[in-house]
Amino acid sequence: MFETRPSSVQHPTEHRFNPYEMNGGTIVGVAGEDFAVVASDTRLSEGYSILSRDNPHLYQVLPKTVMGSVGFHGDCITFNKTLQIRLRMYEYENNKKASTPAVAQLVSTMLYSRRFFPYYVNTIIAGLTNDGQGCVYSYDPVGSYEREVYRAGGSSAALIQPLLDSQLGQKNQGSFELNRSYTVKMSKEEVVALVKDIYTSATERDIYTGDAVFINVITKDGVVTEHFKLRRD
Amino acid sequence: MLSLVQRNEDEVLKETRSIIERSCIPPGISSIEMPPFRDPKTFLAQYTKPDSAVKIKFNRGTTTLAFKYGGGVIVAVDSRATGGSYIASQTVKKVIEINPYLLGTMAGGAADCQFWERVLSKHCRIYELRNKERISVAGASKILANMVYSYKDMGLSMGTMIAGWDKRGPGLYYVGDDGTRVTNNIFSVGSGSTYAYGILDSEYKWELSDTEAYELGRRAIYHATHRDAMSGGMVRIYHMKSTGWVKISEEDVTDLHYKYKEAEARQ
Amino acid sequence: MEHPKQQTQNPMVTGTSVLGIQFDGGVLIAADLLGSYGSMAQMRQLQRVFKVNEKTVIGASGDYSDYQFLLEKIMQKVNQDNCLNDGYVYKPKQLFSWCTRVLYNRRSNFDPLWNRLVIAGLENEQPFLGCVDLLGNAYQAPCMATGYGNYLAVPIMREFLEKHNNRITEAQARDVIDRCMKLLYYRDGRAYDKYSIAIVTREGSRVEECKELQTNWSVASQISSYD
Repeated sequence: MFETRPSSVQHPTEHRFNPYEMNGGTIVGVAGEDFAVVASDTRLSEGYSILSRDNPHLYQVLPKTVMGSVGFHGDCITFNKTLQIRLRMYEYENNKKASTPAVAQLVSTMLYSRRFFPYYVNTIIAGLTNDGQGCVYSYDPVGSYEREVYRAGGSSAALIQPLLDSQLGQKNQGSFELNRSYTVKMSKEEVVALVKDIYTSATERDIYTGDAVFINVITKDGVVTEHFKLRRD
Repeated sequence: MLSLVQRNEDEVLKETRSIIERSCIPPGISSIEMPPFRDPKTFLAQYTKPDSAVKIKFNRGTTTLAFKYGGGVIVAVDSRATGGSYIASQTVKKVIEINPYLLGTMAGGAADCQFWERVLSKHCRIYELRNKERISVAGASKILANMVYSYKDMGLSMGTMIAGWDKRGPGLYYVGDDGTRVTNNIFSVGSGSTYAYGILDSEYKWELSDTEAYELGRRAIYHATHRDAMSGGMVRIYHMKSTGWVKISEEDVTDLHYKYKEAEARQ
Repeated sequence: MEHPKQQTQNPMVTGTSVLGIQFDGGVLIAADLLGSYGSMAQMRQLQRVFKVNEKTVIGASGDYSDYQFLLEKIMQKVNQDNCLNDGYVYKPKQLFSWCTRVLYNRRSNFDPLWNRLVIAGLENEQPFLGCVDLLGNAYQAPCMATGYGNYLAVPIMREFLEKHNNRITEAQARDVIDRCMKLLYYRDGRAYDKYSIAIVTREGSRVEECKELQTNWSVASQISSYD
């Protein structure tokens, strides 16, 4: 992305402290007509060792908004803490809780505030829009974002996203008509079942995914969490 | 220099200047932290190498074009975002709706374009409230250029076109991440721009009808997506008229491909 | 912009693994007493587990001077708590959270505290065991180990805990820790045969007197494949 300087000006390669690490983890978000599903595995890795088998990468930031965040765990923790503070300030200043679209924009600007020393995180925000529709937002590390119907992030993203494209997006399956809807036409139960299958498959092929999956289903009544066991090897 | 100071600046000019001066760090939105090292560009470059365990891949945009003609400005873009060789998204909105009379396009770092054009839309709104009239396309694009210029050499990546309609009629500016700002009738930006220019230059004329203009933009983007691996998804067309912008179409390039093949076969 | 002052870019006097395990009604951590200067076994009575207050203990591997710096800061806070005398003391979760912030901020300024901390205690009568590393990475788990212990001891502790459904007695915990320390002494070139335990139960916290491992090297003469 950045062109390297000509070698005459280039600084000598310093053997420096590396502030980043990849701690694995996979997150998936799906927006339904009146619900949103966001799921994550519970494995926390460091190199080839597993630090914890019980560390979901989901953070409930508001009663009906959940953030999934994976990448460098230290950044995930810090970003989550900062976000919670900003959302609390929002509540005090506006005398109401932030809507999910508002959280989505805030997350984008907060990620961009570290443009020159980024948070190494992949983020998904799931919740409900102001008119009760399920919504999922996905981000790159410096905050470019988009509302989407479904999205996989983290170490298994490249494994899962094509499956979602086929099963939820019906991409390139005869009908080329553009799907302009922001939600899938499936029930909660169907989506949850699909997410379980997705995680068992991802666990089979990705060393950074496994142990268990936490599935959060967000509806107008709040968040219901489901727990499902995965391979632990 | 002396004469500049002594000259009585009118209020509008003063206001505009103050906007530009304060626009480096966007107040009220969020401040951008300065990193604890000298060269953020080289710092980040080490994490974009393919052999690095930590890969910070920013989403990148790719083929965009815009041209002025008798009927206004046409803005056409693809919708693919890539992070390395992975297609991060096929549905990116590369036309950023700044306000009803201004459009920006996205090429280069997706976050850089999205963020700075959002900041720009705030400045444009403030200008409107202060001056009881819309900002000119020249003025808006200059605010953007000044903002990114103050971050020059820090690794921002954006090639954006600002299209709009003001007192002078249709306006079109290109603003680059190094602070470049130029105006012209035709622009195309991104890795697929060479293909788009090829189609555009061969058939462009000022007297195009609206439908001809839409079709030209569409075909140029389609051909770019066909030959450039980094471009694809769908083709989005916007038309900037004297009454503001209108979204014309949004088509999957696969649909377009078969449509064009069919038309070819009929001939 | 100038480079800020950077202190530890690589560690000098270091400590190796710290082990931690939860048991029914408490939690304990253990670390040996060796301070290594590179490959030299320099200090052999180096206490690495400490009592913070009646609810919390802490241990660390990595650079010892950075650990002392951090301990000093923690003890200042504990002292303040005591001076206020309002019955309030730092609970393990709060100390854990504070440590994550300090270590994360130091890494963000490219001036890390070269440690991996293990914080243990009782939080509302429930055992708490948390780990923070030099990058500000943090997690909680029913058992954990830093350094070589992460490779050698954690599998043993995890298997043991899983076999007993995460409910083990204090005696069982001590036993498994002793086994792990022994294994580490056999296999980790920077480990030592004297170690101390810090333990938190409902009765309070304490650092116990150092233990010496009962090792058996009689098989050593049979090993021939390494020369």
